[in-house]
Amino acid sequence: MSDSRSVRVIPAALLVTALLGYPFLDRWLQAQTVHAVTDAMIYVLLALGLNIVVGYAGMLDLGYAAFFAIGAYTMGLLNSPVLGSPLYGHAWSFWVVIWIAAAVSAGLGVVIGAPTLRVRGDYLAIITLAFGEIIPVAIRNMGDITIDIGGWKPVERLNLTGGENGVNPVGRPHLPFVNFDTDFIPWYFLILIIGAFSLWAMNRMRDSRLGRAWMAIREDETAANCTGVNPVKTKLLAFALGASFSGFAGSFYAAKLQAITPGAFEFNVSIMLLCMVVLGGMGSLKGVILGGMLITLFDRILLAQMTFLVRWIGRSLGIAALANVDLTLWRWFFFGLGLVVIMLIRPEGLMGRRVRPPAADVDEEEEMQALVAAPPRPRMESLPAWLREAAARGRTGGPPVLEVRGLTRRFGGLVAVSDVELVIPVGGIVGLIGPNGAGKTTFFNLVTGLLRPDEGDIQLDGRSLVGLPPHAIVRRGIARTFQSIRLFQNMSVLDNVLVGEHCRLHASVAGAVFRPPAVVVEEVRARGRARELLDFVGLGDKALEMAKNLAYGDQRRLEIARALATEPRLLLLDEPTAGMNPRETDTLTELIGLLRRELGLAVLLIEHHMEVVMGISDRITVLDYGTRIAEGTPAEIRQNAKVIEAYLGKGYEQELIST
Amino acid sequence: MSATELLALEDVHAYYGNIRALKGVSLTVGRGEIVTLIGGNGAGKTTTLRTVIGLVRALRGTVTFGGRRIDRVPTHRIARLGIAQSPEGRRIFAPMTVLENLELGAFSRTDREAIPQDLERVLTLFPRLRDRLAQKGGTLSGGEQQMLAMGRALMAKPEMLLLDEPSMGLSPILVETIFDIIRNINQLGTTILLVEQNARMALRVAHRGYVIQTGRIVLQDAASALLRSDVVRKAYLGEK
Repeated sequence: MSDSRSVRVIPAALLVTALLGYPFLDRWLQAQTVHAVTDAMIYVLLALGLNIVVGYAGMLDLGYAAFFAIGAYTMGLLNSPVLGSPLYGHAWSFWVVIWIAAAVSAGLGVVIGAPTLRVRGDYLAIITLAFGEIIPVAIRNMGDITIDIGGWKPVERLNLTGGENGVNPVGRPHLPFVNFDTDFIPWYFLILIIGAFSLWAMNRMRDSRLGRAWMAIREDETAANCTGVNPVKTKLLAFALGASFSGFAGSFYAAKLQAITPGAFEFNVSIMLLCMVVLGGMGSLKGVILGGMLITLFDRILLAQMTFLVRWIGRSLGIAALANVDLTLWRWFFFGLGLVVIMLIRPEGLMGRRVRPPAADVDEEEEMQALVAAPPRPRMESLPAWLREAAARGRTGGPPVLEVRGLTRRFGGLVAVSDVELVIPVGGIVGLIGPNGAGKTTFFNLVTGLLRPDEGDIQLDGRSLVGLPPHAIVRRGIARTFQSIRLFQNMSVLDNVLVGEHCRLHASVAGAVFRPPAVVVEEVRARGRARELLDFVGLGDKALEMAKNLAYGDQRRLEIARALATEPRLLLLDEPTAGMNPRETDTLTELIGLLRRELGLAVLLIEHHMEVVMGISDRITVLDYGTRIAEGTPAEIRQNAKVIEAYLGKGYEQELIST
Repeated sequence: MSATELLALEDVHAYYGNIRALKGVSLTVGRGEIVTLIGGNGAGKTTTLRTVIGLVRALRGTVTFGGRRIDRVPTHRIARLGIAQSPEGRRIFAPMTVLENLELGAFSRTDREAIPQDLERVLTLFPRLRDRLAQKGGTLSGGEQQMLAMGRALMAKPEMLLLDEPSMGLSPILVETIFDIIRNINQLGTTILLVEQNARMALRVAHRGYVIQTGRIVLQDAASALLRSDVVRKAYLGEK
């Protein structure tokens, strides 16, 4: 459940000893590096916060330093109000302000996050870039505010931030018997504690319901939405939590440095933080720590030392150019160069996940046997009991599972779906066929909430679904698979199924971090269920594989397992046998039949393999140019002249005979 | 090498990503033939095509086209030698019109004056594209996109056409149409290497066939013989 258990004891003990002993060793050696190392740890904390936004949730944030600034200035404003501030003379304690700073940053994280919810990629990057520019400018201008309304001046020469001069000095924390004024060692331990706590919290968040939702959004937002993850909430949480860690880092930074100016929070800081995350490996906590440490220490220690070295060489050899060089002025050059080199050799970052080694060769004879042998058939006995129970709870004699009336959707002048009716009774399997471009996938997108209908109604168990977002519809009991498989490629097979369970789990952020018994029980049960489901679809031994490494047929079955994990009443399958060989197709057909028989699951099936549709469907609806041209039993559809003309073709009968 | 041999792969080994996708593939396509390569998912069909076109490099073995080694020739040059590919998943230029897509297919040609004539030929093969010349490629239906991809490949006036899963995701009636067109294209003189999941249709239209399994050719024969072979019937035609 967490990585901490699997950490071997001896290296962990050594690490703790090293971290605890380091500052004293440093003092003994007179190396005076504690100051720089403490600063490095602040940047590491910032980079870890950024990693939540960029590495986990996959949102490129170019203005993260703004949150750093907000944290720092919250400390400055409250702990050391400048002359001219209404708070002047009423300094708040460091220990209180550090929490306020985190909360203020989180709040602003939501504010900046909100407008960016609908955009991704380039647009999101530009919005965050703008935000990153606004904050330092705003801080500069809040040093001297005068509001003059026709001579009446409600605010005159209000100085909140110290303007260009910043806040100086910033008050320090006070603890009995601890000297924060002249000694860096207490600072070191304070950031070590904050960092360790943050790391612990992030580690737990990553391995929770929330962490999985972030990664699912990163991998495929649409698929995540259709698997029951609320993208709005999930992304806002990433922004807020990522920002709150920088709130801690910023307030700590302000107090340690004793002075803050707007210049310390500009664009290049955002970029440096991003470099740390990318260099270390996006999404890897260890990698981000390594990246942050490397870049800051390189900057603070190595460049300075190298300058002395190069100057000494220059003097010894009598080369004036080298003797007067200042390598610290070249820092951006070295950052850039280093990053280019790393991206060329290890694009996934220093600690990023490596691609798996080539698969071992298979015995040729085995290959031939595998070619003819059947894949494992779905067995009734291995159908998870909890799924059966969930299905039994939902089963009622009442209205049909799905009832679609007069459904219409236009794209500009084109009517993609026009006045379509479709009814699926409890436990019914309905096939939806039609020529390419007839509107089948559009119909799916309307039912699952990805598109809003222009007219008509969609009811699940007698309740309308129109207007609900996809994740809410999943919660109500409709799950789907996609025509082109849309798994969360860079997540494990098990995690893919766990994302499916997302909408049936309840763990909150606090729950994810503190893990009260209820959350632990829930998580253990969820994992057990996911394992059972994987066993059922025949992927039990591949649970820890990366989804993208699965063979094609396995990916299709995983997508179905993920859909089943949402405990659906109705399963929408969009060409589930596309690209499958005949035996895989048989197995899948059996699986669908089994689900209906045992769970009373209703299925709506888009499929071009006529043996499948005709063999398994109770009734078939045929769409052409968005309208329903036929509806009936497979036998009726097979003989329908309109259907033969528009879809099946004359050759179809020959095909049947020859099969 | 016989006089009629147009494309030949000789003991080709290749990696696709980190997977050793081809483990010594040898096959030939004679001038004027339709040769099909059938096999399951991940068997190495697409990698074989990508190796021919130079998108995947052979680690070992040779690829010759018209008597010339092409396994170290860059992709855009291979295209100019007379091989055109219609990629799997219909990779057309979605924001461009159908006409622009087709014109792009003729991009590397030097005989500009012959292009209108070939456009006419393509539009005769695919009458549905004629109705949609001004429409954006991305707004076409799946079957039309497939036709556009094939038409674009033909606009290069290739000696040889590589087709990757042309029937994927198409309705039964369109599958028939597409295979009819493939036969037509061939009769007009284009040599075709066809990769397909739909083994039945592919073997019906092809002259010869190869069965590939985990990177090796396991069977090769005349298409009609393969249709009757036990292994093929069980593994790819779904007969019990």
